[in-house]
Amino acid sequence: MSPARRAKVLVGASIVSALVLVGVYLAAGGSSYTPEKSQDPCQHRPWSNPEGLQEIANQFSISALDGAACQLGVTRETLARALATPEGRERFKERYGIDDAKLAKAIRAGLLRAVDDAEEAGALSPIIAGPLRGTIEEIPLDRAIELVNDASSALGGVESLLGPATDLLEEFLP
Amino acid sequence: MSAAPRPRVAALALAVGLVLADSSVVVLALPEIYRDLDTSIAGVTWVLISFNLVMALAAVPAALLARRVGPGRAAAVGLAIFAGAGLACGVADELSTLILARCVQALGGALAVTAALELLPATVGSERRATVVWASAGATGAALGPAVGGILTELVSWQSIFLLQVPIALAAAVPILAVAKHEAATGILQTEVRRTGRPHLRANLALAMVSAAIAAALFLLVLLLIEGWRLSPIGAAIVVSAMPLAAILGSRVGPLVPSARARAAAGAILVSGGLAGLAFLPHADVVLTLPPQILVGIGLSLVLSALTETALGGRAPQAIHGGWTISARHAGVVIGLLALTPVFTADIAQQRDDAINAGTAVILDSKVNPLLKIELAQRIEDRLAGEKGKVPTIGPAFEPLPSDPGERADVEGLRDELQEQLNRGATHAFSPSFLIAALLGLLALIPIVLSRRVEL
Repeated sequence: MSPARRAKVLVGASIVSALVLVGVYLAAGGSSYTPEKSQDPCQHRPWSNPEGLQEIANQFSISALDGAACQLGVTRETLARALATPEGRERFKERYGIDDAKLAKAIRAGLLRAVDDAEEAGALSPIIAGPLRGTIEEIPLDRAIELVNDASSALGGVESLLGPATDLLEEFLP
Repeated sequence: MSAAPRPRVAALALAVGLVLADSSVVVLALPEIYRDLDTSIAGVTWVLISFNLVMALAAVPAALLARRVGPGRAAAVGLAIFAGAGLACGVADELSTLILARCVQALGGALAVTAALELLPATVGSERRATVVWASAGATGAALGPAVGGILTELVSWQSIFLLQVPIALAAAVPILAVAKHEAATGILQTEVRRTGRPHLRANLALAMVSAAIAAALFLLVLLLIEGWRLSPIGAAIVVSAMPLAAILGSRVGPLVPSARARAAAGAILVSGGLAGLAFLPHADVVLTLPPQILVGIGLSLVLSALTETALGGRAPQAIHGGWTISARHAGVVIGLLALTPVFTADIAQQRDDAINAGTAVILDSKVNPLLKIELAQRIEDRLAGEKGKVPTIGPAFEPLPSDPGERADVEGLRDELQEQLNRGATHAFSPSFLIAALLGLLALIPIVLSRRVEL
């Protein structure tokens, strides 16, 4: 093979090798290997036929987180981690410039959205939803966070929240 | 010229290999230095940038100095400075001290490398052979550097990389001392310092661009493996060894094609193709990094040797033109690192947040006990706070696993899913930087294609 032909073969083989590699990797999903994107918390997340207290509590918490995150302009996941520990909450407030009053307002709004969603999904009776809304509007920040984090305990042992309506709760939960 | 040329050739080759390895030897140690000295990714990058920047600035003045004071003396003094600064690097306990010592090391290194090129023609008997020995020693050093550095970091410490350089540099200086004594005794000095001819602008420009791409390939890949995929330094050293092994293969292919222009063009295309492959990795799997590394390795061997030969071919004195190639290569490394560091540090932060959010979403939407969710969220938040913006090692956040078999399987599934999201985030964070590096490699084709004189 002449030197000129060898030069052409070398350059040609290089181009083909590079294109084949990139083509194979793209075909195998190389351009979409990214983390899943967070869903917009302001968009409604439908409840999926919850059964039992734990599932209702799960979906209640998620709705509450979505509602609060929507108010604060952050993702549901960021807020969930922030509310998990007092230190995390402080870091979150500092990072996003949010004070206790604004956080409490957002969480109350989230809880109210959760009550609406639960009622709409038929998971919470209107008889319970009404007084629950009233209680949520007055609830202190720490208690609101507890309710978001541990809705099952809160909904299960709801006497501190609902007072006289407590006895009715288990009866009206599916 | 010499009564003992073999030891002297070996010593000169060792000196060149040692110094040029130093521009990449710390690459695998950077994550360890990053943790040990409690700095940032951008800060630790300066351990690499400072050395390459000073090499780029000092190479040509060092070559002029070597010709003025005598290459034997310059090489011996350069190696002594390199060794002394290496010792300072090894005992440095602050980033600023380490960076300062790296600058001094580069000054000594520049003097030693350019003086070595001046000494080699007389030692090996021909200018052409001297160029080959010099370029091969440099390429071997640069190729072996990361693997050696990774092994030392894991088995001993990052400091050992620098401390080991001290005896090696001094050992290389011993056979050269005879030349230095001869120069001192006879007063033979090179006086024709201005008759250097113009440097080969296009070859050096292409060298700078392709060096930027190659430095990025090595640096980014190491960071991806260690910081992104959590490999140990020795594990990463084994993985990135694919590149120098492929470079050896490339050095066998090179002599089959006499056209330096074709070798340079093919090399630049292969480097760019490999980098583009790394930008589009379909999974976080070290095996998938091997085909791109093979392309980059073969490509770098072809393009660096072709462009260095072109820049030096038929030009005198060799030390000055060698200085220009050293300057171009290290300037390219600096440009590559400076251009890409802000891009990938910003991308890492963004992708890390996206990955953690994606993993948290999986936990929130899972069917596990809500109390366990809260506990996991607490532990993940603690891990994130402890890792201060780095890609976290998430496994410990899921320990201890629940004793109930069903719950245990659920939690293991969540852990794996969160890890997968982190892998996706870490891998994707490097994609734009790899693509920019690939573009730099392709840009090197412009001076190569435009140059009618890239033929030896």
